[in-house]
Amino acid sequence: MVVGNSVLGDLSSQLRVAFHRVQDWAYPDQVDRDAFRAYMKTPHDVGGEPDPPALFEDKEEEQWELNTFVTCEVLGWRGIWTSEERRRIGNVDLGRTNYLGLPYYGRWLWAIARCLVDKRHITLGELIERVGEVRDRYAGGIRGPLDAAPRTTGNTDAVARNRHHVDAIGKGDPQCFADTAGTPGFAVGDAVSVRELPTIFYTRTQEYLRGASGTVAKVSYESLAPEDEAFDREDQESEWFYIVRFRMADLWTAYTGPPNDTLQAEISERWLRPAV
Amino acid sequence: MTETDLDGSGHETHQHAGTAPMVEEVTDFEVLEIALRELAIEKGLFTAEDHRRYTEHVEQLEPAAGSRFVARAWLDPEFRRLALDDAVAASREMGIDWLHPTGFGTPSDFTAFEVLEDTPTLHHVIVCTLCSCYPRPILGMSPEWYRTPNYRRRIVRWPRQVLAEFGLYLPEDVEVRVEDSNSKHRFMVLPVRPDGTEGWSEEQLAEIVTRDCLIGVALPKPGVTSNAVRPVHPAVRPVTSD
Repeated sequence: MVVGNSVLGDLSSQLRVAFHRVQDWAYPDQVDRDAFRAYMKTPHDVGGEPDPPALFEDKEEEQWELNTFVTCEVLGWRGIWTSEERRRIGNVDLGRTNYLGLPYYGRWLWAIARCLVDKRHITLGELIERVGEVRDRYAGGIRGPLDAAPRTTGNTDAVARNRHHVDAIGKGDPQCFADTAGTPGFAVGDAVSVRELPTIFYTRTQEYLRGASGTVAKVSYESLAPEDEAFDREDQESEWFYIVRFRMADLWTAYTGPPNDTLQAEISERWLRPAV
Repeated sequence: MTETDLDGSGHETHQHAGTAPMVEEVTDFEVLEIALRELAIEKGLFTAEDHRRYTEHVEQLEPAAGSRFVARAWLDPEFRRLALDDAVAASREMGIDWLHPTGFGTPSDFTAFEVLEDTPTLHHVIVCTLCSCYPRPILGMSPEWYRTPNYRRRIVRWPRQVLAEFGLYLPEDVEVRVEDSNSKHRFMVLPVRPDGTEGWSEEQLAEIVTRDCLIGVALPKPGVTSNAVRPVHPAVRPVTSD
């Protein structure tokens, strides 16, 4: 039975800035295991967090939102990053306050800026200057079309790019990793448990599944693990992924639905062990 | 956006219902977006033409492709088998190539697609608790509510309650199976063909397979050809197509 997120008000999902604390920066001996785990929790991992019902809404898309989405995808197309790097930067690295505070595509935009600076395609000084310039361009309001006006066209051959955007052509992803991970360790019908490894910086194995047991429903594909892909580690070995089926009643204490309700998620081999 | 008194100079203005006319002020997000795109093009990371081409690709995506896919699977047993066996190949038969437009697919959606077959005793609903993974090549852009932390937090733990909020009440003898789309597979629900559609054409059937049915928060019903009406948050400067 998973303890994390299984009771209302658990620290891991409910960590907030502690206004009642007089002192910032707790002393090391004041951070116990639970608090450490809560601080290290990746903010994108929200499954099972208590939240009251809300009105489900639609939203009209801003032009800059579409432009941002397309820029992210084109950066993937041209080998500047993989989408997993984008997810790590824009959904986790920016921290919980910004994750829950900024608009959805505001975080995609943040991720572009961070990637371009971190990977040394631009300097932070260049970005700051350009943002200032664009702001000044429209200082008196928008009087014409609102669009990018690049001054030059860069030499695309001089740019450092990943291997993936070439290797995957004609195959797709994850098909580009086919036949690289050997024999799958598990087969359909196998009983497996999700390992309770610590969370550090990034993962796609949800907290609410840690320690839970389920059954392999599908042997999916071979791929780099998200922990590697998110950090541009093309040098790492690929592994098998599995769709695992869990009983809801095994995931949540006091699950309120019928006992045969289920949930499936896709997990990499490193996170699985034969069920005990 | 700042409210500004007009000086009659003929500056481009935008009339908002119930408020004074305002000079359009650029937002911080727009400024950052423009700055980054300019720098990326100037540094040769990609070209303006790349950006334009990809935009065109995105703008032609729509959930109607998924609706037609389901309608055909209801009518054609061989296509249904292919859809459940190899949904990427089945998509290709419907004119959707998951390798487009880059030659290796859309970077965020990958090229592993799986169709989840509902039965009279099994109902699937899709979520991505970690971000907003969604089968864009066949359904287009995801709806806002699908991306919200609220939906992602609750559907994996209180699925029947959340589905009820969408107006979908499932009896206890129907197993609810939540698919957390947390890795490279993308998913679409193949609902049960409803009674009262005997003799219908593929076009007629496709009309009742709304996007909400393909995510699993609604069931197809004769006479219902659109998603439930929800409040729409308007954009300040919405997408304009040329």
